[in-house]
Amino acid sequence: MAHDLSRRRLLGSSLFTASFLILGDRLTLSPAEAVELDFTPEVLRRDQLNIIATVAEQLVPGSADAGIAAYLDAQLRAGNDSLLIGKYLGVDVSAQIDFYESLARNLQKALQTEQATSEVLSAMWSDIQENWEGPPASYMLFVLRADALDVTYGTPEGFEALGIPYMAHIMPEKPW
Amino acid sequence: MTESRDVVIVGAGAAGLMLAARLAEGGQSVTVLEAGPARQLSDLVSSQIWARKLKWSEPAVSESGDHKIGHAFNAGSGTGGSALHHYGVWLRMHEGDFSVQSDHGVGRDWPLSYADLAPHYDRVQTEVGLSGDADQERWRPQGAPYPMPPLPLFAQSRVLAKGFEKTGRHTSPLPLAINSEPYEGRRSCQYDGWCDAGCPIGALGNPLVTWLPRARAAGVQLEHNATVSRVIRDARHTQRIESVEYLQAGERKTLRADRIIIAAFAVQSVRILLSSAAAGHVAPGNHSDQLGRYLMTHPAATTFGLFEDETYPHQGVSAGQLLNHDDYDQKDAPGGFGSSQWMIGHAIKPHDLLGYGTGRPDIPGANLKTWLQRAAQHLGNMTLVCEDIALPENRVTLSDRVDSNGIASAHTHHDLAPTAAARWVQRMSEGQEILRAAGAQEVWSSPRIGMHIMGGAVMGDDPATSVTDSFGRVHDTANLYVAGPALFPSSGAVNPTFTLSALASRQADHLLGKL
Repeated sequence: MAHDLSRRRLLGSSLFTASFLILGDRLTLSPAEAVELDFTPEVLRRDQLNIIATVAEQLVPGSADAGIAAYLDAQLRAGNDSLLIGKYLGVDVSAQIDFYESLARNLQKALQTEQATSEVLSAMWSDIQENWEGPPASYMLFVLRADALDVTYGTPEGFEALGIPYMAHIMPEKPW
Repeated sequence: MTESRDVVIVGAGAAGLMLAARLAEGGQSVTVLEAGPARQLSDLVSSQIWARKLKWSEPAVSESGDHKIGHAFNAGSGTGGSALHHYGVWLRMHEGDFSVQSDHGVGRDWPLSYADLAPHYDRVQTEVGLSGDADQERWRPQGAPYPMPPLPLFAQSRVLAKGFEKTGRHTSPLPLAINSEPYEGRRSCQYDGWCDAGCPIGALGNPLVTWLPRARAAGVQLEHNATVSRVIRDARHTQRIESVEYLQAGERKTLRADRIIIAAFAVQSVRILLSSAAAGHVAPGNHSDQLGRYLMTHPAATTFGLFEDETYPHQGVSAGQLLNHDDYDQKDAPGGFGSSQWMIGHAIKPHDLLGYGTGRPDIPGANLKTWLQRAAQHLGNMTLVCEDIALPENRVTLSDRVDSNGIASAHTHHDLAPTAAARWVQRMSEGQEILRAAGAQEVWSSPRIGMHIMGGAVMGDDPATSVTDSFGRVHDTANLYVAGPALFPSSGAVNPTFTLSALASRQADHLLGKL
């Protein structure tokens, strides 16, 4: 293993971990650590995850460093065991990969224009973004924002950032 | 097919495990088939992300209509079923909930009255352990007082209560299946708001700590990851169901029983019965095309406010702490139709479906953290639950989607009756007034959601218009029963777990020959 794990910025030593490919080795890492170590995506393409993470960061600052890209890729890899909030919001587990691929395609198209990102997001929330395909833009953005909130504020570190005592009965120790 | 049991129960939720315990204690040999995995208290880790593992995933349920039932959020999977993640609000239905058709010409009547269920409400609340103050519930139907005092009030509820007082309304402690003090060897609550992720300390009366220990002690066999595909009629005596067919570890199995009880929550119970049509026989309970109809879900929503006062909304329990039923019995009051209730002062998280951060996409990213930090100290919230009206067009059907084992998925369609929708709008508007009266500087509400799932195999006296009799026995069979919320002919506006448990208690007495 050629990686220097000492360079990891632990970002609060998140206890949410999964296995990620890092330069061909499979390591158990938190999403934040996986992003830090430039994990190899296994479901979505890197360019797809990059555009999704960029927009997520606009919606929920801190979500890129918290590992939104690695979180989504790991959950989409989990199949029926996926814990993405989408299943509450009408995105069946079997349709989740298509959903995020479609989101990435739409975001890539939308952000190719010379409009500021904030203007594009505003058009998306209003469902007036041109050439948007698939589910409504506002709905897809809502789901992505909820994912970003999960990663950023759904952990003990996120609670701490908001001044909320986590007060776990049982602290989560295993992957979702 | 070598084994035979006195009773096979499909589903290890609140109704299924209670029936298993009671029947096994009465001397019956009982096997429970549960589609989901085995769960234990140590699985219930404190995380809203982890909590999603407790919910139903497969086979997926497709939904349509203008007020969807939210199956993936409401339904559970594994030992304890949906009651494993339920919040523990245990309210009795009111007398008028049992006779909405007779009284108002709306929906359906029950084939029994509150008086028939009252002794079972009383018995079950002692077995499970409820905390509350019956005297302060001025609207409560007659019944025994709660075995435990109410939970203590935290800052958020004290703030919200002012809004009810100032608008001439009343509140009482919310009756909860949560221990306010040690009860029957179980610990008292720690008030840290992780109820949705399942309570691992035994303070909330989920089936892992109430019925499961009794069921196991009485010799109940519990099979997990056992997805029931259908029930099979006896070829010679077609009024009898001979066995249950299920899939476990890729193997198709059958289990014979004298009595079979389908307690697989509303949608899956109907899915199993609809899948049991065979050559020359319609699906059990479907001779009159009633099976799957009258599907219901409470129209509900949460209203939020930001206050100058410190509320610390992470404290308490997910269910809330106070209750208002002032308008409950005024079903036909102007403005719409149906009962309604407020559950007040939920312990709440910043993320997840019901989280305060999730519901405010209008907060710009640059301001989000500051806003969340303020909300974490100053937010108040309360949830409105309104009555749904049973309509025949709202139903569970089999979808065209079939999994690799040949099991058809369920499809649900649910539209909200216009009068019920109008009542919801009316009460939500009143809720925002209440929060402003309590001192909220900013008020907003979540979208309307479907909370709880009921109906689909409704009970009634007439086989032409219902699926089962008042004991849950499927009309055109001699030994097939349904248990759980699928039986409800009307929804009321209260959380259904107490009533489905009282119904199961009555069923158990019937099956043991006591009724």
